[in-house]
Amino acid sequence: MTQSISENELIAVCGKVGKILLTAGAETARVESTVEYIGKAAHFDISCHATITALFVGTNRQSDTHLVKVRLGDFNLEKVDEINTASRNFVEGKISFEQLKETINQIDQKVIDFTWPQKIFGAAVVSVAPMLLFKATWGDLGLAFFVGTFGYLAAQLASRRIKTPYVAAGCGGFVVGLLAAGLELLGIATSSGSIIVSALMPLVPGVAITNAFREVIDQNTISGVVRAVDAIIIAGSIGAGVVLGTSLCSIAFHWIGGF
Amino acid sequence: MHLLVEFVVSFLSTVGFGLITNVPRRSLLPAGITGSLAWVAYYLVLQVDPGLILPNFTAAVVIGILGNISAMMFRVPVNIIYVPSLVSLVPGGILYLCMRSFTLGHEQLTSQYLFNTLTIAISLAVGFVVAEVIFYRLKPLIKRLVQPDPTK
Repeated sequence: MTQSISENELIAVCGKVGKILLTAGAETARVESTVEYIGKAAHFDISCHATITALFVGTNRQSDTHLVKVRLGDFNLEKVDEINTASRNFVEGKISFEQLKETINQIDQKVIDFTWPQKIFGAAVVSVAPMLLFKATWGDLGLAFFVGTFGYLAAQLASRRIKTPYVAAGCGGFVVGLLAAGLELLGIATSSGSIIVSALMPLVPGVAITNAFREVIDQNTISGVVRAVDAIIIAGSIGAGVVLGTSLCSIAFHWIGGF
Repeated sequence: MHLLVEFVVSFLSTVGFGLITNVPRRSLLPAGITGSLAWVAYYLVLQVDPGLILPNFTAAVVIGILGNISAMMFRVPVNIIYVPSLVSLVPGGILYLCMRSFTLGHEQLTSQYLFNTLTIAISLAVGFVVAEVIFYRLKPLIKRLVQPDPTK
């Protein structure tokens, strides 16, 4: 049965697997080992080199190499899990190569997502940061719950419409800054600074920068550095957005106060 | 009492981030428990040592060990437990403050926040490495204790 798998087909499937895994936010070491496992299970000596922006798959017998370009994407860990299950089933011999190909095409096209209300609820809950418990007032944390929701919504809506990278994060920061400064100027909130830090929790790339250092320690230096720089620029655009939002808000209040 | 509040809020945070990053539903609960236990460990160490390195390192070790165990029990890749349970520890807020001071032109604050960010991120990453080393030592023992469900 295994003899019927053609080399090119296998490489194409492996490339697809790697692409899905990388865009869904798996570590590069995991991508490489998954692809090589699949190759081994199909009795081909496959080698795979993954960086965060590109993926090379080739068999060691011939000189052809398949190159897949990847763009950094949002986390979608459920896809990582499904690919993992499919490849594990294939390695254990539970499904054939044809079935594996079909499953992977399905996973690629399927939009696996929680529903909107669930995600908004998630963002709202994340916006109450445990880091600030007993440091900020409870009222501020309660407000951060709502401000964070709006910030997350703004970032998500912007990322659907605007394809320029980093603008979506800036939009989220802008909304958070605007709302927090407005609430403080209206006298509802005590400190806009703690609201902003708390409400930005769903947007800031903290997990990304930690994963970047894990990759560097794992000797995937290129991917680690790319991830770290990406995280710093995202944080920079959020910071710029917040500064814009707060200053716009205070200018607006200045005008209204002047009349 | 404080500890209970910290536990509940960090549990909710972890589950919330799990919803945002689309973790599979079956790993929401173990990720939440891992995240909140790590946060409690962080909080307890912080009472003794008010620095940046040791609390984060301890929390990362807790996440690393519990995460690997629950990954084995629920048959998910370990990263799926790591990512949501890290959310309350990671230096995202500080990284934002750093870039904000950069935008506003405060050099001193920028370098201080950047230094803090790097310290936290590196101590978390080193904590994971240590946890993985410990886990692979204990793996045969844990495997006997936690038999993964063969039907899954």
